[in-house]
Amino acid sequence: MERPSPGAAASAGTASSSRLYDSITLTLAGSGGDGVALLGDLILRMAARQGLYGMMVQSYGPQIRGGESAVVLRVSTGETLFEGDETDLLLSFRVADLQRFRGSLRLHARSVVVVDAADQDPLPEWLGRTEQAIVRVPFAEIREGREVPGRPKNMLALGLITRALGWPPALAHAALEHRFGHRPELLAKDREAFEHGHGTEDAPQLPRLVGHGVPLVVETGNEALARGAMDAGLRFFAGYPITPSSEVMETLIDELPARGGHVVQAEDEMASMGMVLGASFGGVPAMTATSGPGLSLMTEMMGLSGMAELPAVIVDCQRAGPSTGMPSRTEQADLNHAIYGGHGDFPRAVLGVFDVVHAREAMHRAFHLSEKYLIPVLVLADAYIAQRRQIRDNIVETRETPRRRVWTPKDGPLAFSLDETVPPYRLPGTPEGQVLLAGLEHTSEGWPTADGTMHERMTERRFRKMPLLVAETRDWFRTLGEDDAPRGLVAWGSTYGVLREWVAQHPETRVFLPEILHPFPLEAFEEWRRGLAWLGVLEMSFQAQLFHHLAGLTDLRGVRSIARSGGLPFTKSEITLRVEEAR
Amino acid sequence: MRNANEYRSALKPVWCPGCGDFGVLKALTQALGDLDVPPEKVGMISGIGCSSRMPGYMRAFSFNSIHGRALPIASGLKLARPDLTVVAVGGDGDGLSIGAGHLPHAIRRDVDITYIMMDNGIYALTKGQASATTEMERKAELGLAGTQERPINPVMFALSLGCGFVANAHSGSLPLMRQLIREAIQYPGFAFVRVLAGCATYQSKAYQQEILARCDQLPEDHDPTNIRAAVDLALTLRFQLGVLYRRPPEEKPAFAEPYAWEEAARAARLAESRDLSYPVDTD
Repeated sequence: MERPSPGAAASAGTASSSRLYDSITLTLAGSGGDGVALLGDLILRMAARQGLYGMMVQSYGPQIRGGESAVVLRVSTGETLFEGDETDLLLSFRVADLQRFRGSLRLHARSVVVVDAADQDPLPEWLGRTEQAIVRVPFAEIREGREVPGRPKNMLALGLITRALGWPPALAHAALEHRFGHRPELLAKDREAFEHGHGTEDAPQLPRLVGHGVPLVVETGNEALARGAMDAGLRFFAGYPITPSSEVMETLIDELPARGGHVVQAEDEMASMGMVLGASFGGVPAMTATSGPGLSLMTEMMGLSGMAELPAVIVDCQRAGPSTGMPSRTEQADLNHAIYGGHGDFPRAVLGVFDVVHAREAMHRAFHLSEKYLIPVLVLADAYIAQRRQIRDNIVETRETPRRRVWTPKDGPLAFSLDETVPPYRLPGTPEGQVLLAGLEHTSEGWPTADGTMHERMTERRFRKMPLLVAETRDWFRTLGEDDAPRGLVAWGSTYGVLREWVAQHPETRVFLPEILHPFPLEAFEEWRRGLAWLGVLEMSFQAQLFHHLAGLTDLRGVRSIARSGGLPFTKSEITLRVEEAR
Repeated sequence: MRNANEYRSALKPVWCPGCGDFGVLKALTQALGDLDVPPEKVGMISGIGCSSRMPGYMRAFSFNSIHGRALPIASGLKLARPDLTVVAVGGDGDGLSIGAGHLPHAIRRDVDITYIMMDNGIYALTKGQASATTEMERKAELGLAGTQERPINPVMFALSLGCGFVANAHSGSLPLMRQLIREAIQYPGFAFVRVLAGCATYQSKAYQQEILARCDQLPEDHDPTNIRAAVDLALTLRFQLGVLYRRPPEEKPAFAEPYAWEEAARAARLAESRDLSYPVDTD
């Protein structure tokens, strides 16, 4: 605890030895019904209220509902995008439940461990050892050797942890009031338990973190994707429920209609994407959100979007695949599908998302590119971002209305002139603007054709959008570390969060993270890699999809691939180990 | 009133001489003219198939999309642009096989679009395979796959799903078709028109004659608001031409509430003048 956990500001080459912030990582594990998710959420909100930063990830047992659950949350004095390698405090209502989290939990020498007084099970070996004595607290009420309903365990724990953190109880009362103010009886019961927990004798002590005092915002990745899209001009959404992206739709159901938009829960992903294209045909900025299996189903219509030149934004919150895979677990293995998926040749753009804050920027960019170039744009987030709760600064919403260049009679009669890379968009309702859009190859007039020469010319015209995209997106990347560091890593997406901290402890390494995966910011990458003595590509894809994508674009001789399947995100110690192995 | 030719594009249909789709094109353009819909306010959506080529022959905002997906695209267009008259067209293969999963939900959603299904009981574009509406005896006779698979009755399908407007037409009866399509477009909700549109290439003249001979005018006393009477008619082996069912305005859909799309559109107009910040709390 009070370990320096420095973060490095992106692309600024921040001196990595500087101590930027202190942090505390809490792990709360319980059975279904213990309410550890609520406990974590309350602590996170109390932190945000004080101007502390942090994030929380939830880990489930094999089933999505019921069974064991655990949350890991890290509270810190600076923005954090990674929950930490080791836990400073482990609170477990039942030691046996911990078995489910093997591999994702580690103690260090000074970790505080809190277990139920009645629980005599030994801590599992794989947890690691703490030199601190285990704190035993009577969470469960035992009568005649059996557990009976008593005070809510999570509220006892909230009292204990509030005290351990040295936070004023008023913060917890305010958080409880906010959450349960509409249920006075429950609130009273929770408050009583909180006070009881807060009065625990010999409560452990954790270091005191001091926030800047300005209340901050707690937001999930899926909320940020939805709100970013609304800010960017989204007016029509169609989607189909799928873990881990469903909350994008749920957020929009709550918030889009008031902004004059429509949300439709469609019958499947093909219908979602079809409705998006229909709305887009009407001139309305539209998107869908899904995960890998849904993206597979939308693939035919990604091609239609490219062929008919109808803008569409597709958010893919990647999960571990293939097939059903591990729906609540993260992975970065939809990259090939996003860049290469679909039959035939068509232009598109693929963006990556780093974290909750970056999600907004990514959505603005996605709508901008899609509407300007009349192409499908894929936004690749992943379960680790989508499902996390992150404390972020308050931001000023920047409202934008993406505008397609709309056809007027002055543009002439040809719908798809070979001289126009991006044809002016024929908005339904425009007199004399009638047009035939088609998935069939078409002539400049828009008439279906089976002429090979015309197909070649039209394909070439549509692909002329790509150099324009390249020029516009050439600086869509971030770097970490010192510009002259001799070793380099390329990574993308949510790995940004852990690398930000890892690089600060590894000044010999610089990192390149594309914000756009396709077209890849190649010129900047070549510039960045100059002078490197060693380069590795780090990703959560067994097939090393980013490595192979890059290998098709540039010379990767001597470059090492550091790739593994998804499941759990990278930790700092794992990166150190894997980089060492790949030397 | 507008001339039907105002809705025709310069493109010459690829349909075979004698194709039933010609009649549908004519009736549709006449119906739009009767209703005085400005051509730039017409959205024509189709999937893939012979009949799905129709949007190209119309001077509208047309979209010849991909196989089976006309209904979601048409629904998206109408939801985004309630000011447009949106018509989805396609065949029995497009709508009852690859795209059949969308029909129940389009009906459930009750978006105000007109869906014209040109039913020729064959995959004509791909040269004569059996479709979901090919009768079992025809399949045996022509040596097609699926001789043991019963055909779908499109009218019964739509009625069973609670469709608020269900009509049956024959492409040879132009005035009736014109009238039915006009009524379908006027119907405020999802309207389904099944047209028996013969295939000049993969159906024999004799079979086309047989289909025509099985067509009846609706009984004079048929009450289109009576769903049971509509079902009885749909279940006969003959084809009853006309509006089999039209949900009375005061009656709720059979299985679902209609969406308050108009209300949403009003909210949209209101929102233009309002400032909305996100309900993110900092507690």
